[in-house]
Amino acid sequence: MEPLKKLLAGLLWLWMSAVIAGAFLYAPLARGFIGQSSRILFFHVPMAWVSFVAFIAAGIWSLRFLYGGRQPRHDRAAAAAVELGLTFGVLATVTGALWARVMWGAYWNWDPRQTSIVVALLFYGAYLALRSSLEDRDQRARLSAAYAVLGLVVAPFLFFIMPRIMFSLHPQSVINAQGKVEMEPRMVQVLLAGSAGATALFFWIHNLQCRLAALLERNSAPLE
Amino acid sequence: MVTGGIGWVVAVNLIIWTGLFLYLLRLGTRVRDLEKKS
Repeated sequence: MEPLKKLLAGLLWLWMSAVIAGAFLYAPLARGFIGQSSRILFFHVPMAWVSFVAFIAAGIWSLRFLYGGRQPRHDRAAAAAVELGLTFGVLATVTGALWARVMWGAYWNWDPRQTSIVVALLFYGAYLALRSSLEDRDQRARLSAAYAVLGLVVAPFLFFIMPRIMFSLHPQSVINAQGKVEMEPRMVQVLLAGSAGATALFFWIHNLQCRLAALLERNSAPLE
Repeated sequence: MVTGGIGWVVAVNLIIWTGLFLYLLRLGTRVRDLEKKS
């Protein structure tokens, strides 16, 4: 590995290790939450954030595919972003369900935020279904890019608008409806650091996934 | 360190994160090797 990449990877390891330690040892417990449950926040929110970033990135790569010379690498990047967005979305849903079990007494409550993330997962699950249903490479890339561009409207609506226009049991967002941050500063620090680190992790894994997809497309090279 | 205590949870999380990190490093090396070969 090149020295700069090695350094960046090492920094990411340190950064995320500090986030983990900070989540348990530095950030205080949030008021009004049972036991230590509020610490799930430092993992749940960054995962949901990365899921959103991934879906938006997929839309942008799809736009680049459609209007930037139809390059296969943009199609691969969009598909990889959707796969990762789904993975992080599932992790956010699971951590959210665990938190809901502690706070609300049930894993699933059909809360608007729970419902909207499931709809988002179904929407992007359909993207993968669409891809796998088309054999022609060009047609698959073109149609799935158009679908992912639609996601540029759907994802912000499901992640940010729908949960705010309906009554929700979910705790207020980090930035509330008045545009203010009502959270203990140390919690905000750990949360922002965790979100930044998780975003960097996403781009790292995404890079690896795109390179693997390129290799598989080129010569179907097995890893083992 | 008490099993289930905060220190224990931090240690388990760090082990999981380090495992994932090392896996990604190794995967990166293997992908680069395959890129060189192809």
